[in-house]
Amino acid sequence: MTRNRPVISSVRCLAAVFVSLTVLACLNLFGCGLHEKRHESEPVELDSLGEQPIEPLPLTVDFDVAQAALGEILFAEPRLSGDSKVACTDCHHAEHGWADDQPHSRVVGRPESPVNVPTMYNVRFLYKLSWGGKYESLEAHIDALMTNPKVMASSWEIATQHLSELSSYRQLFAAVFRDGLTPSNLRQAILDYERSLVTPNAPFDRYLRGNAQAVSPEAKQGYALFKSYGCASCHQGMAIGGNVFERLGVLRNFFDDRGHFDNADLGRFNITKREQDRFVFRVPSLRNVALTAPYFHDGSAATLEDAVTTMASYQLGRELSEPDRSAVVAFLRSLTGEYRGNSL
Amino acid sequence: MNESGVLRASLAIAAAVFLALLAYSALHALDYGEEEAYSRDLRRVQAATAELNERVLKSRSALLSQYDPLVHALRDLHALHERLKRVPEFLGRSAALDMRARLRDSEAQLQQKDELVEDFKTQNSVLQNSLHYFPILANSVIDRARVTPAGATVASRIQALISAIMLFDTAADTESTSRVQSAQVDLSNAKQAAQELQLNHELELILAHSQIILERKPLTDGLVKQILAVPLPRIALALEEAYSLHYRSATDRALILRQILFGLASITIVLGLTDVILRLRRSALALELATGELRQANAALAREREKERQLGELKTRFVSMTSHEFRTPLSVIVSSTDLLENYSDRWDAERRSDHLERIRSAAGSMDRMLDDILLIGRAEAGVLRASPAQLNLDEFCRNLVESLEHSSGRSHSIRYSFSGDPQVTLDERLLSEVVGNLLSNALKYSPTGSQVDFDVDANDEQCKFAVEDRGIGIPEADIPRLFVSFFRAGNANQIKGSGLGLAVVQKALDVQNGTIEVQSRLGQGTKFVVLVPRDLGPLAASKSSSNEL
Repeated sequence: MTRNRPVISSVRCLAAVFVSLTVLACLNLFGCGLHEKRHESEPVELDSLGEQPIEPLPLTVDFDVAQAALGEILFAEPRLSGDSKVACTDCHHAEHGWADDQPHSRVVGRPESPVNVPTMYNVRFLYKLSWGGKYESLEAHIDALMTNPKVMASSWEIATQHLSELSSYRQLFAAVFRDGLTPSNLRQAILDYERSLVTPNAPFDRYLRGNAQAVSPEAKQGYALFKSYGCASCHQGMAIGGNVFERLGVLRNFFDDRGHFDNADLGRFNITKREQDRFVFRVPSLRNVALTAPYFHDGSAATLEDAVTTMASYQLGRELSEPDRSAVVAFLRSLTGEYRGNSL
Repeated sequence: MNESGVLRASLAIAAAVFLALLAYSALHALDYGEEEAYSRDLRRVQAATAELNERVLKSRSALLSQYDPLVHALRDLHALHERLKRVPEFLGRSAALDMRARLRDSEAQLQQKDELVEDFKTQNSVLQNSLHYFPILANSVIDRARVTPAGATVASRIQALISAIMLFDTAADTESTSRVQSAQVDLSNAKQAAQELQLNHELELILAHSQIILERKPLTDGLVKQILAVPLPRIALALEEAYSLHYRSATDRALILRQILFGLASITIVLGLTDVILRLRRSALALELATGELRQANAALAREREKERQLGELKTRFVSMTSHEFRTPLSVIVSSTDLLENYSDRWDAERRSDHLERIRSAAGSMDRMLDDILLIGRAEAGVLRASPAQLNLDEFCRNLVESLEHSSGRSHSIRYSFSGDPQVTLDERLLSEVVGNLLSNALKYSPTGSQVDFDVDANDEQCKFAVEDRGIGIPEADIPRLFVSFFRAGNANQIKGSGLGLAVVQKALDVQNGTIEVQSRLGQGTKFVVLVPRDLGPLAASKSSSNEL
């Protein structure tokens, strides 16, 4: 839906309006989407699990449904960019877990992205955003991307100006916001959409909530290995990562082995300029990790298996046996959640 | 600008100031919900800081298996600072500025703490992993190495490193540090033996983990110390104290403002009431004035109407009396004329002259009556004036007596006496009306042959005329109305008269500043005493200029 962008903008616009109205209607019909509570009635295995480094995602979150529906349309709208050619969806692909399946995103009229584009799912649970942890909030992140000449090369005012030329957008905004189409409302709609991108109820979350049959024995074995190998030292919390910075290559030098080096590899150093932050990156969330290949800031790992092998080697100094690695991968695959009630 | 104008102006000013202050106080009113939320947030800064510190310590001791609690505590602190920047309006601008300055300090400390926590997490993750994995790995290598004698040396050196690391983990001082370092050197020297056992990779890993522990434990502990040393709680406490001071002064200000408002409201009310009372009093006064005027006008109107009524009555009486009084002599004239017309040729001269005399007498009586009526009318119209002139009073009186004696046919004897200076200045005509009427009355109402005393005394100041008869007298009850026109005493009905004589006397005396007194005893006689100023000159002089009628 979002990838196959029609060439003619009016057709695109009509489609957008249609989608928006459909989404609004659906959300109304199903009672505010994610706000609905789901109950797990399976027998509880919690006592045997005890205190865990990983927590399930909440089943409900708060966001404005109408604004998020409008934000979803805007997410695919190239008029947000300065030259009306680049939409958010050009790098964040819905079918790849809102990440990019290319190591570096290539968009017409823009330089290649220096890092692999991370997923948009569950961003509301991250403490700091971007590989170097440059942004402390979604607001700061989106404001920076809008004005970044290498990304949107725009501003909220320019985007508003572009959108206000279409009566369909004026009507949509008037329906959602009391003061209609304004730069701050435009921003708010996109933020609400970003906050609505939550994927609860992954098999592993159901397992954590007490459903012993939710994941395979192999995945359970993988989880045990995940903890004992020390992966969970960094990949922990609700997002299974995303709340700590770590140097890439603790026990072995990642970049020496990779053979080349560029500025993006400096990671957090680029933000803090502290020597100790050289090659330090935000530990990414492993939620929906099966959908978001390739992996790492440089997109150098094409598959989950490659990523697990690399991590074990460079971060933990371990060589994994094939069964162990596939167990860990099985565990990682159980982290894929549901969006709007559908498994991803 | 009168008094009420000043009052109203000050009322308007007081009301305006009152309303302005009321609006100000409403804008800066204390919102209890806001205040409560704000002071709760202030207290939360300390609590959240303590929570964060506790979670850092737990993470360091591997009691927490994830960093979300730390991140949440930091996020809470950031959110609290954001909220606290919105200082309640009630505190005032300077307090808000002070609070925001303190909050900037606090935020800078929080930022520092945030960075320290980030570093701590980075270091701690690796340290915890090594602390966890190092003994497992080292023990498994010992088990595998022990099988050969060469391996036993390696195993004992690994064992020495484990002990050194354990000691170091307990107390990281220079001694334990150098012990770890020497154990590491010993183990590195055993690499050859390990290679033979195909354990060189494991050996490298053991050394790497021990190195991680050696480097990162002091680093992590140092970070923990730094995190705990960030003076956020002290700043938060100062913030709370500053807030309560600001709050107290704001409530004091609000109290004073309320008192001022109360005072202004009282002043406004008092001024308003005063204005209302003054207006009421003014309108009451005006009403009273109008009522007085109305009453006066009413009274004047009533007097006017009474006068008119009296005049009307007088006119009615006058018309009825005159018509009656005129009819008698007229009938005499008519009958005598008829008789003369029919019988004059048959009658002798005496009889004819008798009837002619009757006609003349009747006409004369009508003439006198008309004179009387005219005089009274002129007196009542206020146009009767005295015209004094030199007069020999004695001569005047004597002539009058003689003429009366003559006209009455000498039926009575008039005893006349005069004393004093006879030269006076009086109105002869008016005086003759007075004295003539009194004398003719005395003759009319006393029996034939009786004597009438007429004594005149002219002293230096006034002339006194006393006329006394021995006639029928006047009933006492009639005396008060004696001088009213057409009034006749009850016992005078049988005697012909118009009832105008004494009225004429009264009117004539009034214009000469004279007085009259009457003494009478029924059936024995009546005495009239008249006093007139001797000289009417000045009066005449002052009044002679007016029209003589």
